[in-house]
Amino acid sequence: MTTIEVSETATLAVPIDRVWEVVSNTARYADWVHGVVEVTDDHGPATVGRTYSEVNKSVGPLTMRTTWTVREVDPQRTRVDTGVGLAPLQNFVNVFDFRANRDGGTEMTYTARYSVGLGPVGVILERLLRPGMRHGFQTSMRNLEDLITAEG
Amino acid sequence: MAAKLDVVVVGAGLAGLTAARTLTAAGRSVVVVEARDRVGGRTLNHDLGDGQVVEAGGQFVGPTQNHILKLAGDLGIDTVAANTVGDSVYVHAGRSRRFSGEIPPDLLALPDLALTMRRINQLAAQVRLDAPWKSPDAAKWDSMTFESWIRRNTVTTGGIDLVNVFLGSAYGGGAQDASLLFSLHYIAGMGDEDNPGTIERGIGNEGGAQESRFVGGSQLVSIRAAEQLDDRVVLGSAVRAIEQDATSLTVRTDDRSWAASHVIVAVPPALAARIAWNPLLPAQQDALFSRLTFGTLMKCEAVYDEPFWRQDGLSGQGVFRSGSPLCSMHDNTPPSGGPGVLMGFLGGAQWRRWAHRPPRERRAAVLRSFAEVAGRNALRPTDYFEQDWTTEEFTRGGPTAVAAPGTVTGFGEWRDRPFGRVHWAGAEHSDYWNGYMDGAVRSGKDAANAVLEQGD
Repeated sequence: MTTIEVSETATLAVPIDRVWEVVSNTARYADWVHGVVEVTDDHGPATVGRTYSEVNKSVGPLTMRTTWTVREVDPQRTRVDTGVGLAPLQNFVNVFDFRANRDGGTEMTYTARYSVGLGPVGVILERLLRPGMRHGFQTSMRNLEDLITAEG
Repeated sequence: MAAKLDVVVVGAGLAGLTAARTLTAAGRSVVVVEARDRVGGRTLNHDLGDGQVVEAGGQFVGPTQNHILKLAGDLGIDTVAANTVGDSVYVHAGRSRRFSGEIPPDLLALPDLALTMRRINQLAAQVRLDAPWKSPDAAKWDSMTFESWIRRNTVTTGGIDLVNVFLGSAYGGGAQDASLLFSLHYIAGMGDEDNPGTIERGIGNEGGAQESRFVGGSQLVSIRAAEQLDDRVVLGSAVRAIEQDATSLTVRTDDRSWAASHVIVAVPPALAARIAWNPLLPAQQDALFSRLTFGTLMKCEAVYDEPFWRQDGLSGQGVFRSGSPLCSMHDNTPPSGGPGVLMGFLGGAQWRRWAHRPPRERRAAVLRSFAEVAGRNALRPTDYFEQDWTTEEFTRGGPTAVAAPGTVTGFGEWRDRPFGRVHWAGAEHSDYWNGYMDGAVRSGKDAANAVLEQGD
């Protein structure tokens, strides 16, 4: 099964330690990740091997329940989680990469890798969803920047 | 104990001070005993520096609120129009849309909202303002929540969502918290003896309850009233007990007591029920007052060098249909034009979700809501403060008390009934503008007049 990768990068005008602080908190995804309605179960600071759960927007008024497992935590560099409950997307891997820039800001890359189930229907659905996914990644990173700016 | 007074007034908010003014004008000896070290109750000025203030409590006044306007006028306090120049912004499902006027641009929700408001006004016109429990359909209306009725009479969720925008700040709650009968009575009172109450007047800016503010802040009304009462106002003295016999009463704080022929209790009903009464309050009155707990409301305000949103043709007013920490926001800039101040209401369900989050996280959520309306400059205020009325020991919530199903028909007749020589005042004791500053002033006059009629 082919693995698809969708990746977006943004420059955030906020320091990397603050970015890491917010991103590391599994209770706060509804505060900045586009499409997350509510975090229903969390374990605070992300810990390898532990899980957290969300309700995410799907199509129209529909929602889906997603559970993530933290796979890698490299402070102020990388976070890797795997998720289930994202049909038709399968084997979903979510990667956040960070790098401090010279201006005191943060370069952030938001990447998703996944395969597609449901046969040809799933492939069509994925192609329809992909532009929205890219937009959602950019919106999330902008939300993160705004949130940290507003926290002062 | 000093010489016996004609009247002890408990509480130096607008109701208590109005009662005291009325009684002293009639030649009665009065003391006002206030638990806080300030006057004003649910009105509170926040100092911005340079002699400027902004309201952190009740603040808006409008047409038919003749009693608070008259009192302020008598005290030399002017009103100023709340800023409505420019477009407002409607935020729904992550989208911000500018609009002019008072109707949010939500084509799917508007038919339900319009129909709901029309039917609310029709039913409110049938409520007996002086005795809502005697209204023709009182039992039916008091058997359901306001939300149950709205959902039963609408197709989409737009009607309930937009009514809850209003109730988030008006009730510090939502339509699920109050009975239909209570809500209809509340709306029926949004007028005066010549103008029947309507929900439009309650939610409106121009021509409505949010039309104007007081120059110098709403607390100035109480401050000036207290100054005129001179040393009759005793601060920092929480009344713990009230004892009553056939001819006199004793009001006790931790270290003082006063004897009087009459007492006017002008504190929130739920706090009145906590006073140690001897003899006990009638059980029905105690039950009613104990049920009239306040809503949950926080005002969140951000200060900027100037009201930058005005340059973009924005009024600073925002309406948030579910999903946001705020239900609504306003331009709260002082009448001088600066500094710029944005104020948001965080009430009811949103309060329950956000009140216990770390302050920094809540601040960010509020400022991002402001930014959805006023632009990203709103993310960087020079100052930010919150007034959570649930943490005020001598208020315990805000802005008012709402009655759940069964309360008005079961106990409503006990709301204003004197307990011997004890009379009741406060914004919750008014048929008109219940829960508002005008209701407070009306109730103070009514209680004072009841004392005068009762005689010695």
